[in-house]
Amino acid sequence: MSATTHDSKQGADHGHDHHEPGFIGKYVFSTDHKIIGVQYAVSGLLFLLLGFFLMLLMRWSIAFPGQEVPGLAFVEKLPLLGPIFHEMIGRWAPGGVVNGELYNMLGAMHGTIMVFLGIVPLGFAGFVNFVMPLQIGTIDMAFPRLNMWSYWLFLVSGIMMLASFFVGTGSVQTGWTMYSPLASTTTLAVTNIWMHGHTWWLLAMVFNISASLLGSVNVITTVINLRAKGMSWMRMPFFCWAMFVTSFLLLLAFPPLEVAALLQLVDRVFGASFFLPTGLMEGGQHLDIAGGGSPLLYQHLFWFLAHPEVYVLILPAFAILAEVIPANTRRPLWGYKSMVYATLTLGFLSFLVWAHHMYLTGMGTMMSTYFQITTVLISVPSVILLTGLMISLWGGSIRFTPQMLFASAFLPMFGIGGLTGLPLAFTFIDLALHDTYYVIGHFHYVVAPGTIFALFAGVYHWYPKITGRYMSDKLGKLHFWPSLLGMNLVFAPMFIQGMGGFHRRWYDGGKYFEQTSGVSNFWTELNSSIFGLFGMEVPNNLLGLNVLMSVGAFILALGQVPFILNVFLSIKGGRKTNSDNPWHCTTLDWATPTPPPHGNFDFEPVVVRGPYEYSVPGIDQDYFPQWEIEPGKAAPVPAGAPASAPAHH
Amino acid sequence: MADSPEEIQKSIRKYLWIGALLILFTIITVALSYVELPTHSLNILVGMIVATFKAALVALIFMHLNHERPLIYKVLAFTTVFALALFMLFIFTSGDPLVFEGF
Amino acid sequence: MDIPYTVSARPDTGLYNAKIGIWLFLASEVMLFGGLFSSYIFLRVGADYHWPVHELNVTLGFINTLVLIASSVTVVMAWASLKLRRIGQFKLYMLITVLCAGVFMVNKTFEYKAKFEHYAVKLTDGTYLTGHLPEGYEIKFGEVGDLTLTVQARTSAIDADPVDYVLPFLAGGEARFKTEDGSEIELNETTFADLREKALAKAATEGKNNAAIKLVPTSPLAFKAKPGKILGYNATTMTFRDGSIATGKLTDDSMVLEVDGVDTRSVPDAEKSLAWNAGYLGDAWKKAFVENRDHHLKAFEEKYGDRRDPKKSATLQKEAFFMHLHSATPEAGHGDDHGEKKAAAGAPAEHGDAHHAHHPVVKIDKKDIAFYSNFTPKLNTYYAIYFTLTGLHGLHVVAGALVLAYFLFMDGRRLRENPEHLANRVEVGGLFWHFVDLVWIFLFPLLYLL
Repeated sequence: MSATTHDSKQGADHGHDHHEPGFIGKYVFSTDHKIIGVQYAVSGLLFLLLGFFLMLLMRWSIAFPGQEVPGLAFVEKLPLLGPIFHEMIGRWAPGGVVNGELYNMLGAMHGTIMVFLGIVPLGFAGFVNFVMPLQIGTIDMAFPRLNMWSYWLFLVSGIMMLASFFVGTGSVQTGWTMYSPLASTTTLAVTNIWMHGHTWWLLAMVFNISASLLGSVNVITTVINLRAKGMSWMRMPFFCWAMFVTSFLLLLAFPPLEVAALLQLVDRVFGASFFLPTGLMEGGQHLDIAGGGSPLLYQHLFWFLAHPEVYVLILPAFAILAEVIPANTRRPLWGYKSMVYATLTLGFLSFLVWAHHMYLTGMGTMMSTYFQITTVLISVPSVILLTGLMISLWGGSIRFTPQMLFASAFLPMFGIGGLTGLPLAFTFIDLALHDTYYVIGHFHYVVAPGTIFALFAGVYHWYPKITGRYMSDKLGKLHFWPSLLGMNLVFAPMFIQGMGGFHRRWYDGGKYFEQTSGVSNFWTELNSSIFGLFGMEVPNNLLGLNVLMSVGAFILALGQVPFILNVFLSIKGGRKTNSDNPWHCTTLDWATPTPPPHGNFDFEPVVVRGPYEYSVPGIDQDYFPQWEIEPGKAAPVPAGAPASAPAHH
Repeated sequence: MADSPEEIQKSIRKYLWIGALLILFTIITVALSYVELPTHSLNILVGMIVATFKAALVALIFMHLNHERPLIYKVLAFTTVFALALFMLFIFTSGDPLVFEGF
Repeated sequence: MDIPYTVSARPDTGLYNAKIGIWLFLASEVMLFGGLFSSYIFLRVGADYHWPVHELNVTLGFINTLVLIASSVTVVMAWASLKLRRIGQFKLYMLITVLCAGVFMVNKTFEYKAKFEHYAVKLTDGTYLTGHLPEGYEIKFGEVGDLTLTVQARTSAIDADPVDYVLPFLAGGEARFKTEDGSEIELNETTFADLREKALAKAATEGKNNAAIKLVPTSPLAFKAKPGKILGYNATTMTFRDGSIATGKLTDDSMVLEVDGVDTRSVPDAEKSLAWNAGYLGDAWKKAFVENRDHHLKAFEEKYGDRRDPKKSATLQKEAFFMHLHSATPEAGHGDDHGEKKAAAGAPAEHGDAHHAHHPVVKIDKKDIAFYSNFTPKLNTYYAIYFTLTGLHGLHVVAGALVLAYFLFMDGRRLRENPEHLANRVEVGGLFWHFVDLVWIFLFPLLYLL
């Protein structure tokens, strides 16, 4: 067969003759990369929602400390959900008030869930599993069964993480970074150390890391060995490049975290002192430990992972945007090659910057200077990536589909996140800003309106390929604008508060630190007078901004309702696509039938040109797919040709 | 092609020799550890050199790294760089070698 | 519709899928063990005690090294045999490999077991006494006046659970108590649940989140517990891990230790170590110690003169200041380890019961004990990293052996139908196995020798 674009035949069987597995084999324990991708994406979205919900509780406690959370009592009274919710959250909030313990749990779990169970599974695992094998023109991942194991290990880790809320001690309370010695010694006196939320967290991380390792081995092998004929490295879509580098980061950076988790587990369960210094006292008493370890060791091992992890969060965003933006501007991706090299450089450098999270540990001027230099260096490839995407807009006739709206919002939002990171790279500024809301604002701008917007764009972009139907444009816009507004209302004031000295872990939002938090300035005055217009009395000081941020958070929450509706309603009720390539893209993922059957392609794809041939002069259509020798005609399979044709540009 | 039957036939003897060599070096390692060198650090250094040599034999001969594809070398080269970065952790415990004595 | 390149190599990369996969996996394993070795260096450089040298059982470690090397040879031979389609040889070599893994793990078990039974006690002046606890170590607490349980309204880390956390330590008397309202009960799950409910109901009316239940024993009561099993104690109270507190009188908290070693390396003046107190090892052992120490110092001086600093020789420090006791009295067997290395290498505890009579038994006062532990991760960072590294390595050995055993016993169909594919699988499994061997090549000198 040599069809290129297919008439939409909904429900028509594109499947090949092969053994048809049952429902469980097909949708639950599936080895098909597309099903696994969707499984990852759906689990990731659910975890994102949960992490978001934890954040709402935190925001309420920050803005209105000591006041009852509205609706909490109502939820606890619900028939089935009520008792579960009570065991998870309610029992820690007597009278519906979030107390310090609960706030700490929420904070730690918000971070963990968002990073390890939300963004990585959705952004990396979900998209890479669904899209990458299609884009490189293969039938499945290199190790399909390993792929299935990867998903189920991930799910086990997610369930363990959630279950940690239900054990007697409640969930972990030491922040998502789990710094020792606090994390090794707190509540060591519990009756059973195995039934402690922290122990469960550590075990869950071991599962999560194993899942990531299997996944990344799979992705790298697939990209290396299963590319279609003619798909040379420099004809590979940028999406695959970015995911390829991300996989390497996961592969090589996660093991040190596994070491850290294992050592902390040994500390907690077997009473070792890896991270506990000699003579450590707690509550006026010497602990029953040998000592001789070092808390710094933990921080080094942790950040050796956690800095590359930042790029694991952001590279999938670039990967998605590099597909969305050219498709909607009808222009080639600007600087494809430099973006590829920038990504490789970024991946390499990301391993050499970790200690910039630790300037305040007293590691010495020379070392800080070294990490300061590498940190500033790594901003260069980041800027190249952002610039490439930005210049791609130039001269395009932009279609403002929902995915393009999110993509175009990503650019300035990520820009703010990145630029506010620069001051933090310098030791002397970091001294003042470390552990303040400024840092929170900085990295949330990178991952929230940055990465998560890109993930939304990806969902809108590939949804027609997954289901054969478009998501609603109207609901999409209704999703975009409140999200953009909400995100900025939540995160922008953090910079002001952070520079005012707000510490990131105040569960009462700074109420008991009046000397620092009682300061007023232009922004607080503006804030309080705007609220005044609505008849609300908000103090004219930095504390007043808490109210604004919480209002932003609730706008953001409302903004997600249209998205959830859109995802579910469009499965059956969305407008049908009239082609297998509804956005008129150039990459191979759009050459398959819709939805792609098991085995993906109904012809053998042969790649004859680069990935972003939009608006090529001299042909009728404004896109020239990778697999066509002339518009509408797929390239023939060369007889006896090597698997990869030589690249020529 | 190094994986042809003839080549494999030839390497069988090699594998046995390397095995014997590894045992010999293990004995040397144990013996050396009881020799009092000027400092104990020197003992560690010598021990690690012998161990690295043994490891190299295993990697090159048994794991066929002496005739592997370029791709594998590339992956391992990056891994080595990052692993070395990881080994540098202990430096951060020692004092600050950079001292300012006024400007 | 099969995944391409599972058996044959892709022409441009020259590799089949599984080979790329295993090398990537090994790369991540390098980072995993790299992190652990890095932690080893970090801990050793920063150690504030004498890092153990030659303290593990070198013989066992040496045998295990040989076993792993042998298995490494056989696994590569198995692959070569299969490539040449010599099926019988292939099976034999694979079998030997799997058996080697078994021998390795059995050795490891012996090694671990000896460690678990062997104890070290740190005295307050920094002296370490090593040995065995013939009776275990338990705190005896008698004349219990009352028992206070604290129950929490909401679930918490510490909530009274006397059935699991107090009653097991009963060492005399019955668990019969008088409650506050005067009734007499036998404490068990039902009666406690009842008490708990009443106390919480009462607390709720007072607006409190927790309640205390006070119980008075009807007959004399005593407790006996290992210190690690309870939260803490002093002369008049004993706190259990569930937060329950008993008042009474501490009857005995001294430790009976069969001493097989005295380590004075961390004591400024070894001759003033607490170990030589009259109640402990006494002057006779001190004399033996001084003789032994001077002997080694002198021998070192004669051998090296001024060329070596005795303080910087880890071996000398160990030989001179860490005396091993091989007899019940110094006169009986002293002197036999002069200049001999085996005394240091053969850490005791592998000899069974008859051995015990050969050590002095001392009773150590609690006030002199700073810290004690058996030779587990708790003892110091060296044993912590030793158990973590070898434990994780052991897991790899087991996993590798299982995979190889699968290829040997369960993959017969592939052997008949597609031996080339099986050869690839064996090669990949073998690569993992060699990596396990490679890690051990570094582990052995780092932990056992240097």
